[in-house]
Amino acid sequence: MSLQEALPDSALHSTASSVPIEHRFNPYSDNGGTILGIAGKDFAVLAGDTRNTTGYSINSRYEPKVFHVGDNVVVSANGFAADGNVLVKRLGQQIQWYHYNHNKELKLSSCARLVQHMLYGKRFFPYYVHTILAGLDEDGKGAIYSFDPVGSYEREQCRAGGAAASLIMPFLDNQVNFKNQMDPATNGTEPHPITYLSLEEVLQLVKDAFSSATERHIQVGDGLEILIVTKDGVRTEYSPLKRD
Amino acid sequence: MDTISSRFTSASAMALGNDNCNEFNPDGFLDAPSLSLPPISQPAAFLRAHTDDASNRDCTIKVNHGTTTLAFRFQGGIVVAVDSRATAGNWIASQTVKKVIEINPFLLGTMAGGAADCQYWETWLGTQCRLHELRSKERISVAAASKMLSNLVYSYKGMGLSMGTMVCGYTEREGPTIYYVDSDGTRLKGDMFCVGSGQTFAYGVLDASYKWDLSVDEALALGKRSILAATHRDAYSGGSINLYHVTQDGWVYHGNYDVGTTFWETKAKEESFNNVKVEL
Amino acid sequence: MPGLSFENYQRNQHLATSGFAVPKTTSTGTTIVGCKFDGGVVIAADTRATAGDIVADKNCEKLHCISSNIWCAGAGTAADTEMVTQIISSNIELHSLSTGRQPRVVTCLTMLKQHLFKYQGHIGAYLIVAGVDPTGPQLMSIHAHGSTDIGYYLSLGSGSMAAMAVLESKWKREMNKEEAMALCTEAIESGIWNDLGSGSNVDMCVMEVGKDSVLHRNYRTPNVRAQKERSYKFARGTTGILGQTVRNLVDVVEVPIANEEMEVDS
Repeated sequence: MSLQEALPDSALHSTASSVPIEHRFNPYSDNGGTILGIAGKDFAVLAGDTRNTTGYSINSRYEPKVFHVGDNVVVSANGFAADGNVLVKRLGQQIQWYHYNHNKELKLSSCARLVQHMLYGKRFFPYYVHTILAGLDEDGKGAIYSFDPVGSYEREQCRAGGAAASLIMPFLDNQVNFKNQMDPATNGTEPHPITYLSLEEVLQLVKDAFSSATERHIQVGDGLEILIVTKDGVRTEYSPLKRD
Repeated sequence: MDTISSRFTSASAMALGNDNCNEFNPDGFLDAPSLSLPPISQPAAFLRAHTDDASNRDCTIKVNHGTTTLAFRFQGGIVVAVDSRATAGNWIASQTVKKVIEINPFLLGTMAGGAADCQYWETWLGTQCRLHELRSKERISVAAASKMLSNLVYSYKGMGLSMGTMVCGYTEREGPTIYYVDSDGTRLKGDMFCVGSGQTFAYGVLDASYKWDLSVDEALALGKRSILAATHRDAYSGGSINLYHVTQDGWVYHGNYDVGTTFWETKAKEESFNNVKVEL
Repeated sequence: MPGLSFENYQRNQHLATSGFAVPKTTSTGTTIVGCKFDGGVVIAADTRATAGDIVADKNCEKLHCISSNIWCAGAGTAADTEMVTQIISSNIELHSLSTGRQPRVVTCLTMLKQHLFKYQGHIGAYLIVAGVDPTGPQLMSIHAHGSTDIGYYLSLGSGSMAAMAVLESKWKREMNKEEAMALCTEAIESGIWNDLGSGSNVDMCVMEVGKDSVLHRNYRTPNVRAQKERSYKFARGTTGILGQTVRNLVDVVEVPIANEEMEVDS
């Protein structure tokens, strides 16, 4: 235990502010971009812009960050692109291995738990990403799972992640979950009934959310790629965004 | 601490976070999953620099914090009540978090501090409790379960885990039991705990009306009312209230109550919260 | 005491060290360029203003008038470029009045650099000054610390590299007005597309010998806001009502009319 004695007392009982911050090793950077997932009755969409940035520079105007990793599961890990790519790639590999070992599809809920373990596996050296998983649950209903960088997760109806999350999420709360809206039919006395949106409505909301985020966030733009999951499989839609 | 932790570090890559990093496997917890570490001399300082906004305001990764949770023992068992807000800095990350983790049909764990830490280790605790059942053919005691968790977090002491949790359960031997366990390694048995940034507000209401002889309905209402008070005054608590009741037959879920509507209902019914004016 | 007030400096330093975030200033991010041509000079700018990663203004004005024949394009802290040009504009007018001569660009340049040097870079103004004066067309730039440059073509701001790439590859001697305007437009657009700090529209100002300077506000608008897919009008009754108070602003008093027969001319 001589090692412990050699340590200064402050190393053991350190108060947060008095400790010098280690700046020498900085493996993280921010590649911007935003992702957005919405679950419907029998579908789920996961959309992301295709711009990749560092600082004031655009690295690419078309670098997809939403991926189909097999078994009708689409995923995106937004934030630091290197971490995000590795996470998505490993998830795809884990799903493949699950097929080889068990010869069956991986349930979406199990996939979410797997992602939690992958993220928490790096609790002390986190993946610098906000992860969103989209697909269909065992009943065929649309499902969105969202994760924080170290793996805390939750199933939700909709979630925006990444650079413009704070611009898009309040819009989603209002338009998807009808927050702060009363039912006009009752003249503002009863809350707005919670209803599922159709795929067409959801796609319109997604496009409007991204075109608005592009207007006001410098890291969002160039292109919008939407992955749509239904029981028939995964479909991709692309539409251009402003490039300034 | 970092130097000590490096003694327990091996270079094998077998965890899910398998890359060319070091790994941490706490001493005496061979069944605990190993977690990878950054390849540097002071992993804890590194983590603090990147995730702890108290020591570095410009930290890159914001981790979810902020909460009010409570649990208390009374004549009819245990009432557990929590809010549902998750915050990352000033950003409300979610209003729909499940802060009660159903470890098994007889055990509940609450969540305060790092959301991922609580979620991960309390589900891990669930698997350990199940293994205990299979090995010893009886349900684990609340004391043993909470001690497993406290030993686990203690083995990570100084590494940056952040948890404040209450392990609540019922066994034949112990009766209804609450243990408070936090990431410093504290483990306390008690009749009443409030944990989180809104704990003081919850204690205020709870202490004022708490009696051992509360009926089940009264106790549930008191738990709910205490969280409501906390969500009203603590900006980092809010969303909705989740209520649980623990009895000898295991826990029973008593619903989710939106803070917005509950507030106006309570105000009208009790004629309380008169600081909030409705008239112009 | 003339000049800026520093009375809150120590307090602000203390606040910053004890964890209160320093308020974000609006930065113009910016691409600005200037280019001389035969018989004049042209300057141009984009119109995006940012506060961190957020676009604060999609169509701000970065071209400032110093005098009728001298204009200035500003990059850096929005408030500083605005104020510093206004101060120098006033002083130039007074100087012109007292000397009875048309203001010169070098005078402007000297006043600006002396002012900015005095404040050691704390006034974050990066400027391209251009104009026509009795010595002919002039084009110069100033950095916040007070250093200056003179050139046939210049660019400044976060998009200066993108713009300079265009200027370096396409600039030539003996351009006419239209060629210079096209070059500046292309240089600014290069900043708009390739630099995240720049965006929206192109503003331009042309100053020609013997003519009034012409400001082309929104000379190019390649970033018109797209039509939204849905309408977000809320139906009447969407807003919840917690309580209602009705106040009578006017007291309506019923005055009984005296029960007398009206006088009628018979």
